[in-house]
Amino acid sequence: MSKDLEHVFVTELQNNQNIVHKVCSLYTNDRDAHNDLFQEITIQLWKAYPKFRGDSKFSTWMYRVALNTAITLYRKSKRKVNTQNYDSIIYKIKADEYDETQELQLKLMYTAVKQLGDIDKALVFLYLEDKNYTEISETLGISEVNARVKMNRIKTKLKTILNP
Amino acid sequence: MDELDILKKDWQKKGEELPKLSYNDIYKMIWKKSSSSVKWIFIISILEFILPNLLLLIPSVRTHQIEIYYSNNSKHLFLWLTIFQYIVIFYFIYQFYKRYKEISVLDDAKTLMKNILRTRKTVKHYIIFSLSMIFLTMLLMAASVYFNPDMLSVFYKTDIPDGLTEEELRTMLAIGFVIISIVMTSIIGLIYFLLYGLLIRKLNKNYKELKRMEI
Repeated sequence: MSKDLEHVFVTELQNNQNIVHKVCSLYTNDRDAHNDLFQEITIQLWKAYPKFRGDSKFSTWMYRVALNTAITLYRKSKRKVNTQNYDSIIYKIKADEYDETQELQLKLMYTAVKQLGDIDKALVFLYLEDKNYTEISETLGISEVNARVKMNRIKTKLKTILNP
Repeated sequence: MDELDILKKDWQKKGEELPKLSYNDIYKMIWKKSSSSVKWIFIISILEFILPNLLLLIPSVRTHQIEIYYSNNSKHLFLWLTIFQYIVIFYFIYQFYKRYKEISVLDDAKTLMKNILRTRKTVKHYIIFSLSMIFLTMLLMAASVYFNPDMLSVFYKTDIPDGLTEEELRTMLAIGFVIISIVMTSIIGLIYFLLYGLLIRKLNKNYKELKRMEI
């Protein structure tokens, strides 16, 4: 593969790395696993890159590969890791921006989302990333109606967790 | 506004807190080796195609087989069985290769999972076929030892022990073969299905979850 292609790819990924980091933060629980998954997604993106035609945005294309890797291809790393000091990025909430109740609510919600199954997480992730139901259904391979139904169920689930 | 929209607002502000990898960090990553489940499925599948055939390369097994082929009247049966076996094996390898090629990370999640599981299923059918063939061959050997007096000399080269008639020795050998064939196929089968189960447990779970949504 040519040097040009490498350069374009790495630059694109560097600019869009937030998407991958967000996927990693949802699907892993410690820093090592986060990095491990990030690396696997990068490898899969790079392997698939020659097939990227540019008829969609690089970021749109990334969502699919990143989620497929997290849900289907990624096998948990066997390395022994110290999970005690890991303060996952998704729990970091800036105190000055929220009042205490809302801060607590957000923390509870993130914890609840982390406890969802792999598929539910993918739905929530795409929803949080402001994807519409057409995109969600195309990424996961389910019908739009079913994506909506499932999303409503997840919302209800989260509601009951927050207001027991 | 529901709870999830509050979360969405916070989620989209997350940018600054996320790790920032440099150009070089990412550049190094693209040359690392993948450890994806598909890669493992590929490696293990290839091993599973090779291992049953490696048995034939062990010298004692091979000479034994050759001796069996040419020392009894059922040699044609064994020969045809072997030819049939290889035709089927090549068919399985072709199917496996075709399905493996269809796996693409660019498909939607459900199609991707379906294709991986289909590839894996080819290997599963191959294993069931191989085990049945091993079992059948052993049973045929047992039958030929029992019914064909010439065969005894192939498996039992020393003199018949005292207090045993040839008839009794043949029966014992035949029963031995049957027991060995049952134990062997069960053990290999068990190991295989445990491995298979572990490898695709997560995949199966997620695929079922997606299928459930369609009901």
